[in-house]
Amino acid sequence: MGLFESSEKFEEVLGGFFRLVADTPSVADKLLASKLIIRFTYKDPDVVLLIDCSGDKLDIRPGDTETKADVEMSMSADIAHKFWFGKVNLMAALTRRQMVAKGPIPKILKLLPAIKPTYAMYPKYLDENGYGQYNIY
Amino acid sequence: MLPEFFEFYNSTRVVYGSGIASDFKAELDFLGIGKYFIVSDRIISDLGLTKKVVDGLTSAGIEVTGEFLDVPQDSEVNTVNACADQAKTSGAEGLVAIGGGSVIDTAKAANILISEGGDLVEDYSGAHTLTRPLKPLVVIPTTAGTGSEVTQVAVVYDKDNKVKMPFTDKFLLPSLAVLDPEMTLSLPPKLTASTAMDALTHAVEAYVDLQWSPFSDTFAIGTVELIFKNIVQATKNGEDLEARGSLLIASNMAGIAFSHSMVGCVHGMAHAVGGIFRVPHGVANAILLPYGMEYNFEEVKDKLAKLAPIMGEEVSGLSADDAARKAIEAVRKLNGTLNEMGALPLRLREVGVSEDGLPEIAEATVMDGTSFYNPREVVAEEILAHLKNAY
Repeated sequence: MGLFESSEKFEEVLGGFFRLVADTPSVADKLLASKLIIRFTYKDPDVVLLIDCSGDKLDIRPGDTETKADVEMSMSADIAHKFWFGKVNLMAALTRRQMVAKGPIPKILKLLPAIKPTYAMYPKYLDENGYGQYNIY
Repeated sequence: MLPEFFEFYNSTRVVYGSGIASDFKAELDFLGIGKYFIVSDRIISDLGLTKKVVDGLTSAGIEVTGEFLDVPQDSEVNTVNACADQAKTSGAEGLVAIGGGSVIDTAKAANILISEGGDLVEDYSGAHTLTRPLKPLVVIPTTAGTGSEVTQVAVVYDKDNKVKMPFTDKFLLPSLAVLDPEMTLSLPPKLTASTAMDALTHAVEAYVDLQWSPFSDTFAIGTVELIFKNIVQATKNGEDLEARGSLLIASNMAGIAFSHSMVGCVHGMAHAVGGIFRVPHGVANAILLPYGMEYNFEEVKDKLAKLAPIMGEEVSGLSADDAARKAIEAVRKLNGTLNEMGALPLRLREVGVSEDGLPEIAEATVMDGTSFYNPREVVAEEILAHLKNAY
């Protein structure tokens, strides 16, 4: 049993955070520059979130399994949660198959410096939006 | 201080011996299959190297079900598909790759399709997308540079999307690497020098990269020593099997090192120089290695200082700064010696790079996937300054 009790709750928490990132120009502009479409497929609980960086604005689309993505990332919801605290070494997670990434990995790696500021945003976001019980790292 | 996390994994059996490329049935017996398909290229075939291996296999009772010799200089998806189709139709149970990096990467990628089916780019590009072992793959390198016979990586050009697709997976590690210095005897001096400098760059970058581990360090240091002791002799006298063999082993060890800790900004610059101005990879790495070491100097000077004596420099009584500079000097001296032998250019302007193209190279270096592993943040303006020095 994972940390999140339901798909709805995890989608609400992480989807909300992704929308916050989309509204943060210092991060969003760098993601938009990549033009990537990235689909995150989470397990336990099952959630799909698509981040579309190909337009003028970051578009977060929950449940989008149809759009052709440049990169497909699969992982457990718990690993994803921990990642946004900055507590997951991406290369280690890939090596240990805690995450599986399909597509041009170097382009994903290049985004890591851009998303670094979000690691501090995540716990703050959890506390400020009534998700304090998940602020565990 | 130890890294927070590292993994060391290498399932490839490595055998070395002069002439062993035509006599390795004992090693094949362990793989438990009897039908192999050959992957190579026309140049290797014309040199008689493919025949040497095939004759050895058939005289040992191994069935060779066919040959694919149309591997281009840079492997691409259509080549891999064609290779996989032919191998599958032939009824092969395993592959034998004879060649350099492009041949080996083609065979690795084709083995995915032969073993699992599906679409190469859609289904398997990326990191650790495979879930079970592939069919046996035997690799016989004919250059001493890429080390691809022991890496978890294959790079295949995707023409449709105009992008080099990396595949990283434990299951891409070949089953067997057969290192036979006789297979590298036909390498001309220029290729001998540049491929070995490629291996040296793998080792130095693996040694200083962020993803280093005590394991990769050990293989990197061993590589540096072997290359410094043998590159000039192998370039001067291509018939020297001892020197040839040492470079082949060095390339292999460097492959093990960088397959774990990756490479950095020297490769980033070399990829850009190769992509924009078609400069051969080994030549670009050789020219740029001392400049990349300078770029990273402050972050890695302690490690560079440790390399200096292995490169043959006297460092007793020197500060870490001065010893580290000796390591950079040692690479420059080696490049200079190879240049005097007519085997290696020293400047980017000598290999067709235009000065006004340097900013584009710098930008592309920043965007290269290797910059993630570099010990110092890869910044375009800073890289440009070093590229100007290398020009």
